[in-house]
Amino acid sequence: MKNSAEVLIRIADLHKSYYDGEAELRVLQGINLEVYKSELLAIVGASGVGKSTLLHIIGTLDRPTAGHVSYDEDDVFNLPDKDLAGFRNKEIGFVFQFHHLLPEFTALENVAMGALITTSNHKTAYKEAEALLDYVGLAERCLHYPSQLSGGERQRVAIARALINQPRVVLADEPTGNLDRRSSETVLELLWDLNAKSGQAFIIVTHNQELAQQMDRIVQLVDGKVVDSGTSLGKSEVSEN
Amino acid sequence: MRFEWFVASRYLRSRRKQSFISIISIISIGGVSLGVATVILVIAVLDGVEHGLRDRFLANEAHVVFRLHDHSFFSDYEKRIAQIESIDEVVATSPVILSQIGVFPEYSDTIQDVIYIKGIDPDQEDAVTGFSELVSGSTDLKNSEFIENARLIRNETITGGIVLGGRLAARLGIIKGDVLRLVVKLVKHPVNASMLVPDLANFVVIGLYESEMAVYDNNFGFIHINDAQKLYNKTNRINTIFVRLNDAELAPQIARKIEDSVRFSVLEGMPDARTWMEMQAPLFSALRLEKIATTIIEALIILVASFNIASTLIMTVMEKTKDIGTLRTLGSSRSNIMRIFMMQGSVIGMLGTMLGTALGLAVCWLLSSNTVRPSYWYALVLIVPILLQVLIALWRVLPHKGRWKFAVGALWIIGIGFALYCAVRPISFAELGLSHIYQMNQMPIKVNWFFVIFINVLSFMICWLATLYPAWQAANLKPVEALQHE
Repeated sequence: MKNSAEVLIRIADLHKSYYDGEAELRVLQGINLEVYKSELLAIVGASGVGKSTLLHIIGTLDRPTAGHVSYDEDDVFNLPDKDLAGFRNKEIGFVFQFHHLLPEFTALENVAMGALITTSNHKTAYKEAEALLDYVGLAERCLHYPSQLSGGERQRVAIARALINQPRVVLADEPTGNLDRRSSETVLELLWDLNAKSGQAFIIVTHNQELAQQMDRIVQLVDGKVVDSGTSLGKSEVSEN
Repeated sequence: MRFEWFVASRYLRSRRKQSFISIISIISIGGVSLGVATVILVIAVLDGVEHGLRDRFLANEAHVVFRLHDHSFFSDYEKRIAQIESIDEVVATSPVILSQIGVFPEYSDTIQDVIYIKGIDPDQEDAVTGFSELVSGSTDLKNSEFIENARLIRNETITGGIVLGGRLAARLGIIKGDVLRLVVKLVKHPVNASMLVPDLANFVVIGLYESEMAVYDNNFGFIHINDAQKLYNKTNRINTIFVRLNDAELAPQIARKIEDSVRFSVLEGMPDARTWMEMQAPLFSALRLEKIATTIIEALIILVASFNIASTLIMTVMEKTKDIGTLRTLGSSRSNIMRIFMMQGSVIGMLGTMLGTALGLAVCWLLSSNTVRPSYWYALVLIVPILLQVLIALWRVLPHKGRWKFAVGALWIIGIGFALYCAVRPISFAELGLSHIYQMNQMPIKVNWFFVIFINVLSFMICWLATLYPAWQAANLKPVEALQHE
């Protein structure tokens, strides 16, 4: 386990409910969790247990009904919408099960998009995007559109896109859920390599036990509560040993 | 802004999954274009008619008419005229006696009509209204041969000559050389003083006034000012001064100046200078009203077209919901998203406005240019169907890449341009038998550049407003829901 001085994200008493008329659906019921810098964290649990909701709230895409999410001890939900978007742009990268690439833009433009939102220096943005595509092994496919790429290639583009602004945490929702075995392995190898090289924290929501076993720590959700946090021996601790 | 434009322009250019939407955006561009083109054209025609009428009107009309408030006679008119002529912008003046008089032709013993009689000095009147240009026959109100002849052969006193409005003469059934009797006043019977008899003056018709302006041709007769003074026993007095200016537009200011500089005693009365604008207010205000009504109707057409823009954008937002979610995930703010869709709609509005302006101005030019054109048949029979066939074939065969796309687009424009060039020509009022109504041979076109700019701004504003709701809708999508949208 990493020590508390290295806490990147602190989640305190987090609740999230959805309302359908008067009926309240309580998805998250008092989550307490700390995510450490450079940590590989897996969130597992049955379908509908609130894994993705938790990930979305950590990623500031959704707001909690109650509770706090702090990055470096600052509650991000105190930020106004515009600053929150800027925060998301700089600090968080997302990888989804379905790549969510923009179909009208090339692989290069998709990767650069995150940087283009805030920088006026398009040249640098494209250069960085090119380097990232090279890193994920798609240097040749820069000018291809998503429709011209295979499933695995799309997911690798999505990973490159998540990294463009060098975020401190990458959130991945079933990143290999839609891929065959070989593509999955390529994608995962990339993730481990990235974690080792750049020290980003990874929070991965998955059903895949095999994948979860390779992480530093596994958090299990049952009925919107954390029932087991940090029991597994993660990959990096194994390697550190 | 650069990022938003980057995304918006790509969305505009890309071939949509739902080609229905791109058809609707083309229809929205077309709607805005047609609205802008028609408003430019219609206003150019109305402006043309107004200016045509105005020019016709001003050519033969005084710019300022000066008289006393109660239209009474005043003396010392040479002095007053000198005062008026000393004002800078005044180029000519004409002393006039204006009155209404009952008339009957020599064959009749009842009054047939009451007409305006204008007592003028033909030379001075010429300088102000170009009087003699519009008279067929003689303008020598004193010594015309018609007067001499009548004096020779008739056994009655002939006061002088009269130039009569053409249509008035036709109505009264008299021609040049006939005598018209004017009832000036009632006098006591020379034998029985308790009886009043009309004091008649006989005038010989020496010419017909044909200005093509109904008000004069139907209601006016012109006699010499000295004869008019004699009729009323007002030697050296007149009741009106007609004034012509260098610049007709300055009439209101000069009229005030004249009122201030020509002095009258309290007993004589209050001076009153009226401008041509005041005198023709009903006509010109009717034209102005027509222009306002047209502008409002055309603005409504553009408004309808802008609804198309709104619905196109709403559908685009629906189609792009997932992408909006992705962009929000990547850190786009609400205002980023809002601007992307506002830009998209604004480009549609701007393209429509620009195309409409080009089309409107082109049609205005075609309607006013008298160059010799190829036959209509080229446009109808040959050009359009053949061109359509060729273009559709080319469109299908050629690769959809920049240069070819541009070439095919250019061919379309040339084809449609040529068809318009053949088909749209000046509209001849003479051929339609309308020239006597509008007093012009050809439908006049006058492009008002100020209005063109105004309608461009208005159209763009309407289109821009139409983007607000869809853009707001896009900006307020919840990222998580947008990502899960199927």
